[in-house]
Amino acid sequence: MEIIQVVGIGLISTILILVLKEQKPMFAFLLATATGILIFLFLIGKIGMILSTLERVAESSGMEMIYLKTVFKIIGISYIAEFGAQIVRDAGQESIASKIELAGKVLIMVLAVPIISIIIETVMKLLPA
Amino acid sequence: MSWLGDWLREIILVVLLASFVELLLPSKSMERYARLVLSLLILLTMLSPIVSLLKGDAIAELSLAMGRQEKEGGLFTGGGSGDPSLEKILADGQKLAQGRQDQSLKLAAEEVAEQMREQIISETGKRGVNVTVTLGMGKSGGSGNEDIPVISAVKVSMSLTTANPTGVSGTSSSVAAPPIAIAPIEPVEVKIGANPENGSASADEPKAVNGNVTEDNTSTNETESIVKLLEQKWDLDPEVIQVDGGGVNNVKL
Repeated sequence: MEIIQVVGIGLISTILILVLKEQKPMFAFLLATATGILIFLFLIGKIGMILSTLERVAESSGMEMIYLKTVFKIIGISYIAEFGAQIVRDAGQESIASKIELAGKVLIMVLAVPIISIIIETVMKLLPA
Repeated sequence: MSWLGDWLREIILVVLLASFVELLLPSKSMERYARLVLSLLILLTMLSPIVSLLKGDAIAELSLAMGRQEKEGGLFTGGGSGDPSLEKILADGQKLAQGRQDQSLKLAAEEVAEQMREQIISETGKRGVNVTVTLGMGKSGGSGNEDIPVISAVKVSMSLTTANPTGVSGTSSSVAAPPIAIAPIEPVEVKIGANPENGSASADEPKAVNGNVTEDNTSTNETESIVKLLEQKWDLDPEVIQVDGGGVNNVKL
């Protein structure tokens, strides 16, 4: 029943943050960040399990590992970018949060560049010169 | 027909993976971008027979491009992961410095060999003297721990014929070789030229037996004078000097 633990941590830290916010907003922000990291670490084992299962399945079925690597990179980039952006957004820096998200989007797009180039080159070869 | 089965299986797996990953994504804002990459992957999988037909090994190219991307890294990472790359850079730097040192030692050895040759020629009036100087790095005598270049071997080979008038070869080799703890100077070897009857320089064969006895005395004298000359002018240890002469007598001091 890990979900209860996660929700418990979330509720407790929310109450603490509400109390702290009146006195020391700085510490409230730190507590929020720490709670976020804690829940993330709590889940990272499960995420790892899912990813290793996917990897095993892909390996046994002879799928190209480069595809799987790309997919994992997408997941990682989006999770990390989302996490950082939310922390910054909690601190009230909306503009920096959106920049972090932009960085995440750009980095995901960069992953697509080699794939796009290969597809385009193939299509160009298909067309008569 | 097995390639068809493989192809179908790959497509099914990639589609399953894509739909699974889409659920795993954290937020809506990233979803569109992730979906684009995933759909490109599916497209590439579906096109893979055509791609491999037209372009060869597309997967290898893809992984190469990905690896290059990974290596380039971001603005702040300094090109990849920190420590190993730093080590690599340092190792590269050391290698470059070593190469430069080798090169400068070689140049210096050539210069020294040329000067020695000039001196020997002016002193003995002999042509066709071949001087080879080997420089090594050694500890400087007193003060610092700095490595300084020392003459670790001098090899003089002479031929009575002038077959090889421009025979100066300064070769500095094996700088990293053991003799590091050697003080300023070491062996000199002087070989005295070829057999006059043969008329050819056989400096490379110090044990040639076809010599004549009459040459012996003069050759020995010359050898000694050369060794003395080098000893005085270059402040060398006689052990460092090796003189090969005349194919007959091979004086090693």
